Amino acid sequence: MTEPTDPGVIPEPSGPPTHSQIFLGMLQVALSAFGGGLSAWSQRIVVEQKRWMSNEEFLTGLTVARLFPGPNQINMAVYIGTQFRGLSVALVALAGILLVPFTLLMGLGVLYFSVHELPAVDRVLAGVVAAAAGMALSMGFKILNQYWKDPVALLLAAVMFAGLAFAHLRLVPLVLVMGPIAMAWYWPRQEASGS
Amino acid sequence: MALASVSVLLAAACKPMHLGDLGNLAKVIWQFLSLSLFSLGGGNTLLAEYHHLSVDKYCWLTNSQFADLYALAEAAPGPSSMIVGLLGLGAGWHEGPLWALLSAYGAEIAILLPSTLVMVMACLGWRQFEHSPLRVAFERGLGPITLGILFAVGLKIVRTADVTRAGTLSIPGVIVSIVVCVLMLRTRISPLWFMAFAGVLGALGIINC
Repeated sequence: MTEPTDPGVIPEPSGPPTHSQIFLGMLQVALSAFGGGLSAWSQRIVVEQKRWMSNEEFLTGLTVARLFPGPNQINMAVYIGTQFRGLSVALVALAGILLVPFTLLMGLGVLYFSVHELPAVDRVLAGVVAAAAGMALSMGFKILNQYWKDPVALLLAAVMFAGLAFAHLRLVPLVLVMGPIAMAWYWPRQEASGS
Repeated sequence: MALASVSVLLAAACKPMHLGDLGNLAKVIWQFLSLSLFSLGGGNTLLAEYHHLSVDKYCWLTNSQFADLYALAEAAPGPSSMIVGLLGLGAGWHEGPLWALLSAYGAEIAILLPSTLVMVMACLGWRQFEHSPLRVAFERGLGPITLGILFAVGLKIVRTADVTRAGTLSIPGVIVSIVVCVLMLRTRISPLWFMAFAGVLGALGIINC
């Protein structure tokens, strides 16, 4: 999809990995991905290096991971895990992607709350925050392209945006109202589904 | 002037609750549990809700602390959704490090548990729904909804992040945000470089003075 793929390389799955291999692989994915871009990294590691699944399987997983609620990376870990031995591998994959980075981040957090009175730390963070805000801003533009030719989609998006940004409505009730409306509009018509 | 004093009054009225009380901790965890299934399109869609919870509703954090924690979560390796753990940490900080860590782990597990369970079920049963109209409607319908949320969240984060120490909008900050946004869309440069460069600009006192 959005990730560049090399069509010349068709990796062959080389037997199901063990629990510890999954844990270490997912840990590698988590630690490689400083500052976002996690899915590109996990593709490189899971498909090209470890050959745990084909590129097609990986992209299917990415679609499902994006579709369902929850962080993409976490959902992707669940998908990779369930491809092998089911639930226990999924748990190991989750632990691999979360445990070490989370502990690290909590360490940083404790440090932050202890020393953030230092003006130098404040100034550096103000800069980093401005860059991170730019990253958040870019996410909407990234998927805007695929909706240009669909005025209803743009209208739905505009109502969500106005409701949240200007009317200060809360997310949950707004999604509960707008979600079913959107699903009803995109419900497949009879002739389209008759295959 | 009148507006400023009103906001001071509001800030004073907002008291952080004591997480040392297990009932309050449970309430915090319940808040994140109930948001979990609404983290559409990858999780960052909930940032404005997190801000509402931790700054406006429970006052665990100040506005600038929230922005700092967001930057920390984005800059550190691993899934950026781990910001919830940092919010939990801030929520429990007044009670001492032990309670802070307890509420950090509790909050992170709470935000991940429901969505992860749904994902497990989806992975085990997704193929059976291949031709279901429900699946098609779900796939197509949630896209535009997510699009709207992402723009609202982007705007909210820019407003939260780019403020001077006096609390007004920081023009250099906004410029940095817009430049990073454009570079994110037009280039494949790792975002880590943007954050490092902006951190240097910040250290020079250009952003928040």
